[in-house]
Amino acid sequence: MELSLAAGKTFDCTATLTDSQVLEFCKTGYLLLESVVSEEVNRLSVEYCDQDEYYEPTGILAQDWFHEGVVCNPAAAGAVRSLLGPEFHLPVLMSNHRVEAPFDVGGWHVDGNSAFGPELNYLQVFYYPQDTPVELGPTEVVPGSHLVKNKARYMAHLTGIRGAVATTAPAGSIFITAYQIWHRRGEATGTGMRNLLKYFYWRNRPSTRDWIVEDDFDFATVNYGSPIAAIVEQFRADIKVAEMFLWLCGRHDAFQNLGGQSWPLPAHRNGTPYGMPTDL
Amino acid sequence: MTPEQSEFAARLESALEAGELSSDELREGLSTLLQSSARRQDLLYIQTTSTAPSSPAVGMTLVQNGEMIAPPADADAWPYQNVLDAINDGWRVVSFPNMALLALSADDPQGLGFEFILEKWS
Repeated sequence: MELSLAAGKTFDCTATLTDSQVLEFCKTGYLLLESVVSEEVNRLSVEYCDQDEYYEPTGILAQDWFHEGVVCNPAAAGAVRSLLGPEFHLPVLMSNHRVEAPFDVGGWHVDGNSAFGPELNYLQVFYYPQDTPVELGPTEVVPGSHLVKNKARYMAHLTGIRGAVATTAPAGSIFITAYQIWHRRGEATGTGMRNLLKYFYWRNRPSTRDWIVEDDFDFATVNYGSPIAAIVEQFRADIKVAEMFLWLCGRHDAFQNLGGQSWPLPAHRNGTPYGMPTDL
Repeated sequence: MTPEQSEFAARLESALEAGELSSDELREGLSTLLQSSARRQDLLYIQTTSTAPSSPAVGMTLVQNGEMIAPPADADAWPYQNVLDAINDGWRVVSFPNMALLALSADDPQGLGFEFILEKWS
């Protein structure tokens, strides 16, 4: 995909994720960073949301303390930099899924305008400014579901999904998702206000393997397995994950699946897997 | 009439023929029959890992008494772990996985497994 570079504010910082962590994101479609925002910024964020209860409190992006403490938070921005490359585009819209608990569970869905494929050109990010235990209805995700096509209106009858995970998190936690991941609002049985701030970052540069490279990372033997394996054909998840990882490495041109027991299927081999792309 | 209603009507008829059915009992029996016509269809959606009804359930939704009911969050605590469990508990399959799914590319996984829809009347 040829990028149409976005105009607007950009940011750059040091990439903080390793090969293994980027691969893990490809497997699960999300990354939870617990308690990375300071208590002071959490407090200010909650106060701001109490004053601006609109579902799009975009004005919070103009607050210096929010810009530095959340949007450009070193742990979160470092992860975003790892996945989206340098000079990534900063959020220009803030949403708040603000709900007074108790509340009912939401329906499983993928967000509108989702696209499924190996490309990762944007990230949907969530920030919990308050402690969000399971009683406060944290968002639930289906790990690995970003690899499986679905449409929100075809998911309306789904309730229980094996392997779904509640993103329970202490205050100051940020979780980063592939936009097309299947998710829903959890049921809240407790009391209190749940703020869930949601915003977007975009890629501005073609993907390349410029995160923290691990010397012993071996493309031939690493496990590409995803938790979504149970609902797809055997090894299909491994193939999807490997393709996404190579896309992020800027080597999608080298990706190939030659069928049978070729790379990237997991196996105990005595040599380089057949079909392994060269020069990785 | 449903099989249950036919059975109930047959009991009333037998009582009438035996001269053991009073007008009050007839009125009560008719009321019971009318109320039983108001029964609802319960639905059980089970998504599985393959077309086999014995394959593990990966998704479940219950529609009971006109309401959607989510199973426990812990999938191991779901009332049925596969479609056979539900059949053995009296559920009747009314829809099987659509084999047209085979036409989809294996490169392009879609949706949550293979969906069986079962019913009960309550």
